[in-house]
Amino acid sequence: MNDTRFVTPLGNDGMYILDTAAWRIVRPVMDKEKCINCGVCMGYCPVNSIYAEGKEIRISYDYCKGCGICAAECPKQAIHMEQEVK
Amino acid sequence: MSYIDVLKQTQNVMTPGSSACQGCGGELILRRVMQIAGNNSVFAVPPGCMAGAGVDGWNFSNGCTAPIHITLLDNTASFMSGVSEMYQRKGRQDVNIVAIAGDGATADCGFQSLSGAAERGTKMLYVCYDNEGYMNTGYQRSSTTSLGSSTSTTPAGAAINGKEQQQKYVPLIMAMHNIEYCATASPSNMADLVAKIQKGLEASKRGFAYLHVFSPCPTGWKFAPDQSIAVARKAVAANLCPIWECDKGVFKLTPNRRPITIAEFVAGIGKFKKLTEEEIASIQSLVDERWALLEKLAAE
Amino acid sequence: MGKLVAMTGNTAAYTGAALCRPDLIAAYPITPQSSVVEGLAGMVYNGKLDASFVQVESEHSAMSVVQGAAAAGGRVFTATSAQGLALMYEPYFRMSTLRIPMVMALATREMTSPETIWSGQQDAMSVREAGWIQLFCESNQEILDMMLQAYRIAEDPRVQLPVNVCYDGFYSSHLIEGLDIPSQAEADAFLPAYAGKTYLDPGQPAALDPLTPGELMMHYRKNHLDAMKAAQEVIEEVDAKFAAQFGRSYGGLIEEYKTEDADIVIVTIGGMSGTGKDAVDAAREKGIRAGLIKLRFVRPFPAEKLAAALRGKKAFAVVDRSVSFGWSCGPMYMETRAAVVDADSYAHFSAIGGLGGADLSYGHMRSVIEKLDAIKNEPGAHDTLWLMND
Repeated sequence: MNDTRFVTPLGNDGMYILDTAAWRIVRPVMDKEKCINCGVCMGYCPVNSIYAEGKEIRISYDYCKGCGICAAECPKQAIHMEQEVK
Repeated sequence: MSYIDVLKQTQNVMTPGSSACQGCGGELILRRVMQIAGNNSVFAVPPGCMAGAGVDGWNFSNGCTAPIHITLLDNTASFMSGVSEMYQRKGRQDVNIVAIAGDGATADCGFQSLSGAAERGTKMLYVCYDNEGYMNTGYQRSSTTSLGSSTSTTPAGAAINGKEQQQKYVPLIMAMHNIEYCATASPSNMADLVAKIQKGLEASKRGFAYLHVFSPCPTGWKFAPDQSIAVARKAVAANLCPIWECDKGVFKLTPNRRPITIAEFVAGIGKFKKLTEEEIASIQSLVDERWALLEKLAAE
Repeated sequence: MGKLVAMTGNTAAYTGAALCRPDLIAAYPITPQSSVVEGLAGMVYNGKLDASFVQVESEHSAMSVVQGAAAAGGRVFTATSAQGLALMYEPYFRMSTLRIPMVMALATREMTSPETIWSGQQDAMSVREAGWIQLFCESNQEILDMMLQAYRIAEDPRVQLPVNVCYDGFYSSHLIEGLDIPSQAEADAFLPAYAGKTYLDPGQPAALDPLTPGELMMHYRKNHLDAMKAAQEVIEEVDAKFAAQFGRSYGGLIEEYKTEDADIVIVTIGGMSGTGKDAVDAAREKGIRAGLIKLRFVRPFPAEKLAAALRGKKAFAVVDRSVSFGWSCGPMYMETRAAVVDADSYAHFSAIGGLGGADLSYGHMRSVIEKLDAIKNEPGAHDTLWLMND
C-alpha cells in the first residue's frame, strides 16, 4: 500500500454507503390513484428514498429501510406496507 | 417557495445508505440540515448516533459529499470556531460552517465549548438533535432526558423509578447568550424546520445561530419506527417541545392550537411505561410553566 | 542583525510567535503563561499583528479552536501551563495524532496537588507520550529563536507534527535577559509563509479523521513514530540553517558543555542548565573533570546522540525538575538509562530538585557533581539524590 496515504487520517476515497435496502422487512407501495403528489412523504423520509420526478413523487427502493413513516404520514393513505419478498 | 419545493431543489449530501435505525429522527434532521446547507459547507458531527451511522466516514471513505470532521464529544463548537475564523480570514464567507450534534455533546460535556462559541458570536450554525440521551452507546440518560424515563443508566427499578430529575431546557439558555438566532423545531413540523434551517444558515453569516430539534428515537424510547413523526407531533402538542424562535432577541412562539396532556403524550412510549401519576403531573407542571414563561417572553 | 532588547521569557515567547505570522491565536490565561496571551492580544488589538485572536473560555477550547483553524489551513499558536495543559489533554493528544503542525508555548509549572502555581516540569513530562515534539529552552533568547525553529520543524513535510516550546515557569517566563530580536524581514527569510493543507475544504470534500479500523491505525502510529525519527534529522538541519542566518546554534537535539574530556557528566533540562554549567566550571577549577549535557529535546528523545555523548565517561547524573511516580527517580534519568544500553558500566543516579518553584541552586548542582565525583568508580545505580536544603 502506498505509504503516503497514511500521512494524515483523511478519508477521500469516495462515499461510504451501506446496503440498507437489505434491512427491509416491509416495503412501502404507493397507490398512484390516491397519491396527489403533495410530497409530505418525501419531507418525512429519513433516508431520502422518496424523490420527485417532475411533479410526480416516487419511491426508490435502493436504500429504503422500510420504516413505514411514509405510510403512516400520507394524508391520503396512498401508501401501504407490503411484506418484502426476496 | 414551499418547503417541498425547497427539498426538491436540494440534493442528498449525506450518504444514501447510513446505519441509522429505521425511523430515526436524527437521520431525518441530519439529512435536512445537510441538504439545505449543501456542499459548499464544512460540517462537524461529533461522536453519537449520526457519527456511528457513518456520516463522518469509514476508513478512506467519506460519509457525505462535503468536507466533514468527527469532532471530540466536547469540542464541536470550539473546533468549528477555529474553522469559521479561518474561513472569515480567507474571505470565504460563502462557506456554511455547520455543526450537528446530539444532546449529550451539546447539553452535557460539550456545553462549555458551545457556550463559549455562542458568547463570542462565532459565525456558524449549531444544530442539536435532542433524542434525550446517549443513544449510540445504548441509551444512557443525559441532562435533557425527561423525568421518569427508563434508560440504561436510570432503569425503572424497584428502588428508583427511572430518571429522577427533570430535563434541562437548553434552547432558552442558548437564547440568553444574545445570539443572532435561536430556535426550536420538530421534524413533525417540517415546513417550520426547513424554514428555520434556512434562517439559521442565513443568521450564521452574521453570528451564532442555534437550532434545537426534537429527535424521536424508536430504538431508545421503544416505539414502532413508523410512529416517529407521530411521536414528534404529540411532543409539540403536549408542549414538551414548544415551537419558538428568538430572532435577534425577538421571541416568537408558535401557538399550540390542539394541546394535549403529558399523559396523552407518554402513552405508548416504552421508556415512559412505568411513569407514576405523580411523575406525569410533575412533567405536566414543568411544561405548563415553560409555556407560560415562553408566552411572557413572546409577549414583550 | 536585529535590535537588542531586554525582555522576559514570556515576552520572548510572544515576540517570537508574532514573528512567525500566525493566522490565528486562541488562548486562555494561566499563571505563569498569562503574559504570553496578554502580549499577543495587545499586538492584535493595537493593529501590530494581523492575526485572528479568539477569546476562549478554557484551554480545552483553546486547543480545539486552533485545531479547527489549522484544519482549515491556518498557522496557529497557543500557550499554556500545568492545569491548563491537563484540561486540554484531549484535543492536545488529537492535534499530534491528526498530524497537523502547530506550535504551543508551555511555561512549565508543577501539577497540583499540593496547590501550587510555581515552576516545575511535571506538566510537560506528564504528556511526553502524547505525540508532540517537546523542546526545552535554557535562555530567553533560546525561547524566541526556538519559536521560529519550531514552526520550521513542525511544518517540514517529513515531520508534520505539533511542537511544544517549553521553558521554566517564573525562572524563565518572568526573568529578564537581553535579547537580539530578529527583524520581521529576517524572520520571514527564515520561516516562509505557511503553505499548509486545508483539510476541510468544500473544493476537496474529504472526511477528516473517519472511523478507522485497528490495522490501519497501526500504520498511522508507525508513521507517527517514523516522523518522530525523521524529526531528529530535521531538528539538526533547522539548527544549522538558523545558525547560518543568525549566528546562533544551540546544538540541535542536545548541547554538550565541556564533555570532551569529562569523567563525570550531569544531564540537565531547561533553565537549570546555566547553573549546571557554572557548577561544572567551578569543579574544573578544582581539577574535577566534569561536563554537562543539556537535553534540548525530550520528544523525540535523542537516545543515540545522548548515548554517544556519554560513551567512555565514568559517571552521570540526570537532574530532573519532576518525578516519575512508581520509579523512585526522575523521568529523564529513567529515559537516559534506557538510552544508554550498558548503563551499569557507569556509576549513575537520579537527582530531583526545583519542584513547585523551589530553588535549584548552584549549591545543588555542586552537590550533584560532588556525589558523582565520589561514586565515579563504583559502577551501577546509586540512590536518588533529593536536592533539598535540609
